[in-house]
Amino acid sequence: MKQTFAQAISATIREEMRRDDKIIVYGEDVAEMGGIFTATRGILDEFGPKRCISTPISEGAIVGSALGAAVTGLRPVVELMYSDFQLVAFNELFHSLGKWKFMHGEDYKVPVVVRCAGGYSFGAGPEHSNTFECLFTHAPGITIITPSNVYDAKGLLRSAIRSDSPVLFYEHKQLYKTKMEVPEEEYCIPIGKADIKREGKDVTIIAVGLMVSKALEAAEKLAAEGISCEVLDPRTIIPVDKEAMFESITKTHRCVIVEESNKTAGLGAEWAAMIQEEIFDELDAPIRRVASLDVPLPYNLGLEAECVPNPDKIIAAVKSLF
Amino acid sequence: MSISNEKAIDMYKELLAVRMAEEKLVEIYALGKVPGHIHSGVGEEAAYVAPLMTKNDGDYAKFTHRVIAATHVMGITFNEMFAEILGKDTGTSHGRGGVNHVAHLKNGIVGVAGSLGVDTEVAVGAGVSCKYLENGKIVYCFNGDGTHSRGNVHEAMNLASMWKLPVLFVCDDNQFAISANHANTICTPNPAYDRAPGYAMPARLVEGDDPIAVYEAAKELTDYIREGKGPAVLEVKTYRWRGHFEGDQCAYRDASVTEEMRKRDCIATLEKYLLDNGIMSAEDMELLKNELAVELDQAVEYAETSPEPALDSVYRNVY
Repeated sequence: MKQTFAQAISATIREEMRRDDKIIVYGEDVAEMGGIFTATRGILDEFGPKRCISTPISEGAIVGSALGAAVTGLRPVVELMYSDFQLVAFNELFHSLGKWKFMHGEDYKVPVVVRCAGGYSFGAGPEHSNTFECLFTHAPGITIITPSNVYDAKGLLRSAIRSDSPVLFYEHKQLYKTKMEVPEEEYCIPIGKADIKREGKDVTIIAVGLMVSKALEAAEKLAAEGISCEVLDPRTIIPVDKEAMFESITKTHRCVIVEESNKTAGLGAEWAAMIQEEIFDELDAPIRRVASLDVPLPYNLGLEAECVPNPDKIIAAVKSLF
Repeated sequence: MSISNEKAIDMYKELLAVRMAEEKLVEIYALGKVPGHIHSGVGEEAAYVAPLMTKNDGDYAKFTHRVIAATHVMGITFNEMFAEILGKDTGTSHGRGGVNHVAHLKNGIVGVAGSLGVDTEVAVGAGVSCKYLENGKIVYCFNGDGTHSRGNVHEAMNLASMWKLPVLFVCDDNQFAISANHANTICTPNPAYDRAPGYAMPARLVEGDDPIAVYEAAKELTDYIREGKGPAVLEVKTYRWRGHFEGDQCAYRDASVTEEMRKRDCIATLEKYLLDNGIMSAEDMELLKNELAVELDQAVEYAETSPEPALDSVYRNVY
């Protein structure tokens, strides 16, 4: 069957809610409206207002209460709408969600999924377009997942909901309407496993979220010029599948990292450092990073496009390695 | 008085235990035995102990950074409490959390956030599960007056009221947020009680040197909560006898006022009640104090002789 990304999110949550009555869904506009991106549509109709509740605009209370509900027996799947609003609940996410078990002991399981929509989306502006995974890589205890397509989103969300650790689940706004053939039956994709989206032998392009599609487009064009790119999608940011990265780079000996966060102190900075620390001898060229410019994302579409990675920027980075 | 003699005696035992444990904390801190900080709650015990005398088995509580010895009322042993404060492997979280995070889920403690206020939301979340699971439990959520200036508290209290959650919000108004007297920082004299109508919650205001009055107000409010009517507010007026942390010279306040406020002692009030009504004798009280002194000395010794966490256990409980 074919599903859009948004349909897949809602379907997966509903399947899990049928399986486990401890799962509840709440957050901003998730009930009657079905979420502003329609990713929770149908949940209220099927499970009623006891298990699907629209909250006030209170990101702190959404995350903090989800933590409290989780340690006392529920499995909340909450939505903060835009990932930008995570910053309103930064303390809850950074200090509380990830550290609660560490601070209080092993009894404190925190099965919470915090869903939110990330990424640029054609004029959403400086406070509705951010890509924030990198901020939370500094918060030990939190699992971070960013799927790049419908199939991965279903399998990873199911694993996230079944995890006893808190998960930040990033859904790219531009992916919500994308469609893909997915299995009828339920399936899980393990947390912490990368996926090779395209095999190649000359260079490894590590790309995250929406950037996977940009990398694949670049790889297609580069193939025509005789450069064979392997596109690796980590899918999980924390814990990251570094073995898969090392294996690919050991084969290709070159690496470009593509992400939508600002370049400074982004995921690429961390991964490039990690790769050169551990497999420096495998590299035939410097690791290149393609990331967003270090400016707030502008509203103007031309300026916005100037800021974010695109296939041409990726192609230029790849060619610079030869 | 609606308190039974048995309950009054139980409350006295817990109040005394918490007082003496808080004094013991001050004592061992002065001896340099505590690796971090402590925030003494001496003088404010009734704000925590008296409401908790209305709890049923299985109820939840959320404490604060002060009067942490009140976790004893929930069943935390002094051994594991002092071990945690000394950072030992036998502590409640094996020395990971320290003084701000003395907790066990099996004792109904939902945890404490060092960045205060956030945990009010966590307490409200416990209320979400109590209501959803229809398990009849309620949540005691303790905060200080200073914390009531954090936005998290307002988000949490609004949500609790909207969803009619079984939470008693107890505000220990000890007058100070570190050095800031709340007369200069909070727009209303009673930070929780005055705002309760804005959250559509019933509220009571009581003096913290009168444990029976605190108990009775808590009983009235928890009866209301247990009927499924939603959350309520109890504000207890206390005074912070010591500094925010040990070593705080309190140069920002008038020492003579502090001396005067120290005469308003919840333990003395309850002792007088018990003696005047022939419920306990002075000898009984003396005996109890001696027993507690021994128990606390043993707890400190247990903590001191407990092992440090193994260095290779540092990743324990991260995920």
